[in-house]
Amino acid sequence: MNDKKKLVVSSAPHLRDKGTVGNAMRDVFIALIPVSLVSIYFFHWYAAITIGVCLLTAVLTEVLFRKMLKKEPTLHDWSALLTGLFVALLFPATTPWWKAAIATFIAVGIAKELMGGLGRNRFNPALFGRVALIILAPLISFIDNQFAALYINLGTVDVMTQATPLAMLHQGMEMPGYGELFFAFPGGALGETSPFFLLIGAAYLFYKGHIGWRIPVSILGTVVVLTLLLGENPLHHLLVGSLALGAFFMATDWVTSPFTNRGKVIFGIAIGALVILFRVGLAPTEGVAFGILIMNGFVPMIENATTRYQFGRVRKAVAVTSGEE
Amino acid sequence: MEVKAFLGGINVPHYKSFSEKQEIKEIKLPKQIIIPLSQHIGAPCQPLVKEGDRVKAGQKIGDSDSFVSAPVHASLSGTVSSIEDKKIHSGEKVKCIVIDVDKKQESIEYADNDLEKVSKEDIVKAVKEAGIVGMGGAAFPTAVKIQPPPDKPVDALILNGCECEPYLTCDHRIMLEKAEELLQGVKLLQKVLDVKKAYICIEDNKMDAISELSEKNDDPGIVIMKTPTKYPQGAEKQLIKATLDREVPPGGLPFDVGALVQNVGTAVAVYEAVKYNKPLLERVVTVTGQNIAEPGNIMVKIGTPLDHLLNECGGIKEEPAKVVMGGPMTGVAQEDLEVPVVKAITGITVLPPAMAFGELEYMECVRCGKCVEDCPMLLYPNQISIYGEAGMYEKAEKWNTMDCIECGICAYVCPAQRPIVKFVQQAKPQIQNLQNSRNNT
Repeated sequence: MNDKKKLVVSSAPHLRDKGTVGNAMRDVFIALIPVSLVSIYFFHWYAAITIGVCLLTAVLTEVLFRKMLKKEPTLHDWSALLTGLFVALLFPATTPWWKAAIATFIAVGIAKELMGGLGRNRFNPALFGRVALIILAPLISFIDNQFAALYINLGTVDVMTQATPLAMLHQGMEMPGYGELFFAFPGGALGETSPFFLLIGAAYLFYKGHIGWRIPVSILGTVVVLTLLLGENPLHHLLVGSLALGAFFMATDWVTSPFTNRGKVIFGIAIGALVILFRVGLAPTEGVAFGILIMNGFVPMIENATTRYQFGRVRKAVAVTSGEE
Repeated sequence: MEVKAFLGGINVPHYKSFSEKQEIKEIKLPKQIIIPLSQHIGAPCQPLVKEGDRVKAGQKIGDSDSFVSAPVHASLSGTVSSIEDKKIHSGEKVKCIVIDVDKKQESIEYADNDLEKVSKEDIVKAVKEAGIVGMGGAAFPTAVKIQPPPDKPVDALILNGCECEPYLTCDHRIMLEKAEELLQGVKLLQKVLDVKKAYICIEDNKMDAISELSEKNDDPGIVIMKTPTKYPQGAEKQLIKATLDREVPPGGLPFDVGALVQNVGTAVAVYEAVKYNKPLLERVVTVTGQNIAEPGNIMVKIGTPLDHLLNECGGIKEEPAKVVMGGPMTGVAQEDLEVPVVKAITGITVLPPAMAFGELEYMECVRCGKCVEDCPMLLYPNQISIYGEAGMYEKAEKWNTMDCIECGICAYVCPAQRPIVKFVQQAKPQIQNLQNSRNNT
């Protein structure tokens, strides 16, 4: 009876849900595969190369930065790969590969790893990388000139030369049909090609419990209300640009969105309003990216203002009767 | 009757099938029993016996003058071999009376009281003398609980038969096999508390217990309540909320909202104490899990060493195993098996190698909000874990760490595998110190 049994101890609870960060990130990656395939269908090798370059750059950047920071690489959490895919989906197929690579490098290296790694980054890394290229325009055009010889010309894919739906909308041109815009329409960034396939991915994430309804619904609802007030066509605004990608996949990013329920709604409404401000009032592109990034900065403030009371805090007056009901 | 749900909470896999159909049975007596002098919340007992003394089963061997305390009894007859500090299941060292058990058992004599004639004072005295404590795991002395302060009248008694912890089935079996005793115990509790309305709350995964009790119950003052199967339905505050729609305020007790919650096993013990003057010297313990050869619900003498109990249930099948005292959500994993079964032990969950993980490697909080969504106390476990980990206890206090009931849901759902409950348990005493020093200045 005194033989020592091999026993394992740990703190409670001794059961754990199967969901891990890695599984969740992988699920988001899977959810983005349909729209990625649509973009490859339209843009052939141009899309495939952009995606490939971004994924590779993301992995290399994470390993490099974590080595520099003397931390173990955490590729198994899928977050680097996911950021890479997001960056790729934010660029049009005509983008030279080095630009996509620089954006990915900034996204994974600076916006994520240097901010303290996954969980500590205040801003959505992929959007940060994408927008950094806009802000660094003079530098980028210098690099463009140096790298021009490396541009891979794969021949022409005629859909790439037409105006993007967002630009058409901005210039008041005649829009393609709703069905076409919804199911698949070439133009704009890779992730803008099919709201339909994005919705399928989003439904999968919703089913898996990785995203909630509050942020997407409040973004899209705000866009509808504001466009109606401004006399614009709400359907066009919902279907063009990266609104679907942003509302379902990027604004819902765990790390950079509020964890309070009321906060999520405020966050979504503000993003929706910023998107319309950018689209209607300012430049026609990247309204979604700027809208989300700006609101990322407000997340701690929103959270502080929207915390709920703990159990029992708001106490109803209890009529304690003497045993009668 | 059915109840509304509380906010938060999750569905965890039940794993009840190992033992839910097993009738309560006895096992061979151990050679030695270890009776800790503190098996309850409150002052520890002083020994009433010394080394070499002969004791009978049921004899009181430790007691305290403090109001909040509960005496301990010899669960078997034998000779006191030593009185020494020994490790108990919580990891603490507690003074214990070790008894070498006789081959031929000798017991104190039991009474057979007329329940119609007992007074409130008789009930309180019998419960106090029997050393009854909350048997759902909390181990708060029952005699104290049934004497609520006069300015806090109780108008509703809730009997907790939810048994929301996965694996455990001891309360389920008690409700099935001891329905009469349970109902008698409830009536005694109603009498002592002067409460007309009692609710026996049972999760709807135990329909047989619900129908058994509904059939046996003829008292309109006792309501058999079906509650949804949702963890932690059996947590005191959540159960009061669901049954009565009253919220116990932070830092408050059920008295504050006119409620009192007792475990169903405790009610049976109260019945036996009042009827027979029988002390709490045995209890039903579920021995279960994928990794125990013969799972079952065992009537265990208090003080039985864990390894004896496991051997009597066919032993551990595969190693390395994880042996949890209690259920898997809130129980304590044991380092060795010499610890005794005490009054508050509801079950022993023996997990197989595939489920026997040690401390998991965890990541930074990724702010997914799953713990926030599911926390039944409506706290922000994410923030508590971040500040607890960083040792920023004042911040942790501001996020209401002290209200945490340590149900384990946050750590269960956390995709970053953060040991949130551990951080809470580390932070609580530190915050208590902060509060004490603030009060002293």
